[in-house]
Amino acid sequence: MNCREAHPLLPLFFDGELDARQLRGVALHSTRCPSCEQELQQLERIQDLVVNAVTVRADEVDLSGLWSGIEPRINVVPPSWMVRARSWWETHQYDWTWPASALAALGAAALLAFALSPAAKDARPPQIAGVDNSANLDVVESHVDSMALLSEPETNTMVLWISDEEGAGTEEPGGLP
Amino acid sequence: MNRRTAIAMGMLSLWAACVVALEAKAEESGGVEVRIGAVVASNAGQVFDQRLASLRRQFDSLFQYTSYRLIKEERRMVSWGRQAGFDLPGGRYLLVIPRECKDNRVSMKLILVEGSRPLFDTVLGLRNQGTFLVGGPRHQEGRLIIAIAADTNAVPR
Repeated sequence: MNCREAHPLLPLFFDGELDARQLRGVALHSTRCPSCEQELQQLERIQDLVVNAVTVRADEVDLSGLWSGIEPRINVVPPSWMVRARSWWETHQYDWTWPASALAALGAAALLAFALSPAAKDARPPQIAGVDNSANLDVVESHVDSMALLSEPETNTMVLWISDEEGAGTEEPGGLP
Repeated sequence: MNRRTAIAMGMLSLWAACVVALEAKAEESGGVEVRIGAVVASNAGQVFDQRLASLRRQFDSLFQYTSYRLIKEERRMVSWGRQAGFDLPGGRYLLVIPRECKDNRVSMKLILVEGSRPLFDTVLGLRNQGTFLVGGPRHQEGRLIIAIAADTNAVPR
C-alpha cells in the first residue's frame, strides 16, 4: 500500500472502521511512512481536543432539575396490567410458598389416608358382579348325576348347574330355562 | 426457610406419600380377593335382595325363579398358590386355590364339597373382576346359587 492509497483511509483507520485487510495495509504503511504517521498523530490530537471540549461543556450543564421535570409526567401514565402483575409477583412471590407446600402435603396425606382407610374399602358396593364375566372351565371332575354349563350372552356370565338328585330332569318351575 | 426449601419440603411430602401408596399397592398385588356369595333362589315369594342388584339381569336371563336372597357373603384376600376354604350353607364347602393372573384372567382351582363328598373339581379361568356362578344344590325351599368373583385390584381388608 502506498501513500496515495493509504491517505484517504487514515480517518477510517483511526475510527476503526476498516476491514481486516485494509487495517493491516494501513498499519504497515504508517510504520514506514512518516507523513502518514504524522497525519495519524494529528487526528489523535484533534480527538483529544474535541473530547476535552465536550467534557468541559457537559460538566457546565445543570441537570439537577431534569428528573424533577420528568417524574411527574411518568407518574400520570398508569402502568400496564403486565407491569402491575409483575410488580405484584415480585412483592408476593414468597408469601404463598409455605401455604401452597403445606396444602400440597395435606392433600397428599388426605388422599393417602382415604386410599388406605377401611371406609374406602367398605365404600365398594357389596354386590358380587362385573360387567364382563367371561370364563372358561378346564376339565370338570364331577360326582353328581347331571351337570350343565350355561352362558348369559350379554355379560358372558357362566353358570355351572349341578344336580345329584334322582329325577333331575323334572326340574321344579323356576329352574334352568 | 426460603422458597426453595419450602418447595423442596412440599415435593418431599408428595414423594413420601407416593412411596407409601406404591408400597401398599405392591403388597396387595401379592394375591387376589376372592368373593363368595351364597344365594337361595326359589319360587317362594317375590323377593329380590337388593345386594344382588348387579346380578339381576343375569339371574333373570339364566333362571326362572321369582325370589333371590343373599344368605351369605364372604370376601378374602388369598395369596397365589394358597388355598382358601369357604363354608357354605347346607354343610357345603368351597375350596379355592388361585393360581395366576394372566392376560387379565384369573385362574383358580375350585373344589365344591358337600359333607365328605366332592361335587365337582375344576380349574376356572375367570376374567379379572368377573363373576362365575355355580348352582343347583337344594337348599331350604329352593336352590343354592354360589357366585364366585375374583379381583386382583381389590384393596386387602
